[in-house]
Amino acid sequence: MSGAKRRILGRVRDALAKRTPTAHPGDFGGWRPDGAADRDAVRGFADMLTGAGGEVVLLGSAEEARTWLADLAAGFGSAAVGAGVPDDLRPALPAAPPEEAELGVGVARSAVAETGSLVLDARDGRRTQLLPPTHLVWLRTGDVHATLRDALLALREDLPSAVGLHSGPSKSADIGQILVRGVHGPGRLIVGLVRD
Amino acid sequence: MSDTGPRGYAARARDVLRDRPEMRDSVLAATHTFDANRRAAWESIDADAWRDWMRDVKSHLLGNLDRYLEEAEARLTANGIHVHWAERARDALDVVADVAHDRGVRRAVKAKSMLSEELGVNAFLEELGVEVRETDLGEYIIQLLGEPPSHIVGPAIHRSLEDCQRLFHERLGTPRDADPETLAAAARAALRRDFLSADLGISGANFLVAETGTIALIENEGNIRLSTSVPRVHVALVGIEKLLPRFEDLSAFLQLTARAATGQPIGNYVSLIQGPRREDEPDGPEEVHVVLVDNGRTSILADERAWEALRCVRCGACLNTCPVYRQTGGHPYGWAYSGPIGAVLAPGLLGLEEAMPLPFASSLCGACADACPVRIPLPELLIYWRERAVEAGLVPAVERVGMKTYATGADLPAVFGAASGLLRRVPWELGGRALPVLGSWTGQRTAPEASPATFRKLWKKGIE
Repeated sequence: MSGAKRRILGRVRDALAKRTPTAHPGDFGGWRPDGAADRDAVRGFADMLTGAGGEVVLLGSAEEARTWLADLAAGFGSAAVGAGVPDDLRPALPAAPPEEAELGVGVARSAVAETGSLVLDARDGRRTQLLPPTHLVWLRTGDVHATLRDALLALREDLPSAVGLHSGPSKSADIGQILVRGVHGPGRLIVGLVRD
Repeated sequence: MSDTGPRGYAARARDVLRDRPEMRDSVLAATHTFDANRRAAWESIDADAWRDWMRDVKSHLLGNLDRYLEEAEARLTANGIHVHWAERARDALDVVADVAHDRGVRRAVKAKSMLSEELGVNAFLEELGVEVRETDLGEYIIQLLGEPPSHIVGPAIHRSLEDCQRLFHERLGTPRDADPETLAAAARAALRRDFLSADLGISGANFLVAETGTIALIENEGNIRLSTSVPRVHVALVGIEKLLPRFEDLSAFLQLTARAATGQPIGNYVSLIQGPRREDEPDGPEEVHVVLVDNGRTSILADERAWEALRCVRCGACLNTCPVYRQTGGHPYGWAYSGPIGAVLAPGLLGLEEAMPLPFASSLCGACADACPVRIPLPELLIYWRERAVEAGLVPAVERVGMKTYATGADLPAVFGAASGLLRRVPWELGGRALPVLGSWTGQRTAPEASPATFRKLWKKGIE
């Protein structure tokens, strides 16, 4: 044990010697005023993310998704595509490294209705999630959790080196308290929400 | 600035109030917005229940901190993260310097971290020849200006759009009247080069989960995700009080911290980091270090009253709602943490003498306690440090003697009655200002008009 560790832990134990430890309060209940939590999870997620400046497109089937993707891709010159994106949901665009691509495409592991968050896994590629100015994320309706706690409990069973919760396009109000988008991360966040 | 550190507080506060009306306007506008957003965000949840729960989790954590620190270290190590322990600021800086030296680091990008401000990371690394770039837009602005942050969450809230237009025109060549989008785009382009060429990313941590060894970081711009994903080495500086017991505990802490800070339901980006890049991942840092920093925290923990301040999640809500902070912003406080929480942490982290007069820089109105998401009893702790300061002889002798005289006199009804009778006849505008204590009090305030009769006489007659 390092000397610094021993001394710090020693001081912590001395500090706590005469104090009675209190119990952990147990599971977080996510308490809300009556009725606020009774919404459909998929609609709740879409409303929250849209409210934060994101775009959500509900797609009825994989086929509808492919048609929609072809239209969207026409507006971009190149794409960086995440490792987890299925072949049929990759845009027909020239591949480019994330720092040069106009469009980043990835898959969400899950999503959270109460916060409007996408749960993004490092196995899909972190740069693709962050460097292109527009980020398209595929999500399945069955992967939308009602609460952040539900999503975290599912996530805990298989944690990669990093998870990013993305809840809107990059934004900042650091210049004169005026909101701007796309400061470092993508200024445009689009979710292709595919029905199971 | 006449005196560095908290001791120069009064002089610096006076300078802002007298000579910098535009700075006061910026701070007032920003804090008002933050505070209004927090209030609105608390209405859509049962905020009292959330705050009770978070208070209890943090109190439990602090009461078992030795056990959770050991659990966290074991978990972090199992995740492939290098763990370092730092007793003082200098020890933490040495860890960063060693990592930078061993890995041949020439350029570092920094994710906003108040602990790194507390430790003085930037100046230290630059002296070693490492180029350090702040990447949070607000931090970037004040780094270009050579200023410290003035707020825990919004480091540049004391600067206006016009200030930024001038600064970016000089440093980045943007037009003098560029709009905020143009200014942000210029900063993005400059900092994008830094992200892609940096060897080291330095971050703090909002939380460190003992159960999973997770470093949790909250932000809005994406610079923290980039700083912890693109460079080959990541160093996270973590105060030992930042731990949380369980991964699922994040569910409340991530949400209410954001709601308290800016009114958002969650930070735009949350990073949950479990270690360096793994074989099945396309990118990420090769090496991750966590520096567990004490730097005075164990002495706060040992204090029977002040330990509650260690629950702080650094949301800035107490600053935004504080009528004293709002008038001047954070610079007069003279160190990393300002506002009510800064005044309560300073005696513990810097020493009571060094922290004077910050515990007195408050009206004790109690708004801070109402805003705190982890229910730190801030007004009580301010009073506690004031008492300690009096005991230690750190308040002016005339005030000490005056208060003692008052206490003695107030205990004796005859003396109290006679003295208050006399005071009602003091002609304040003529000679009253010469009186000890009361004189200095009325020097900056209008003396109240005395009632024609004493309270006891009025009471006997029957007050209307």
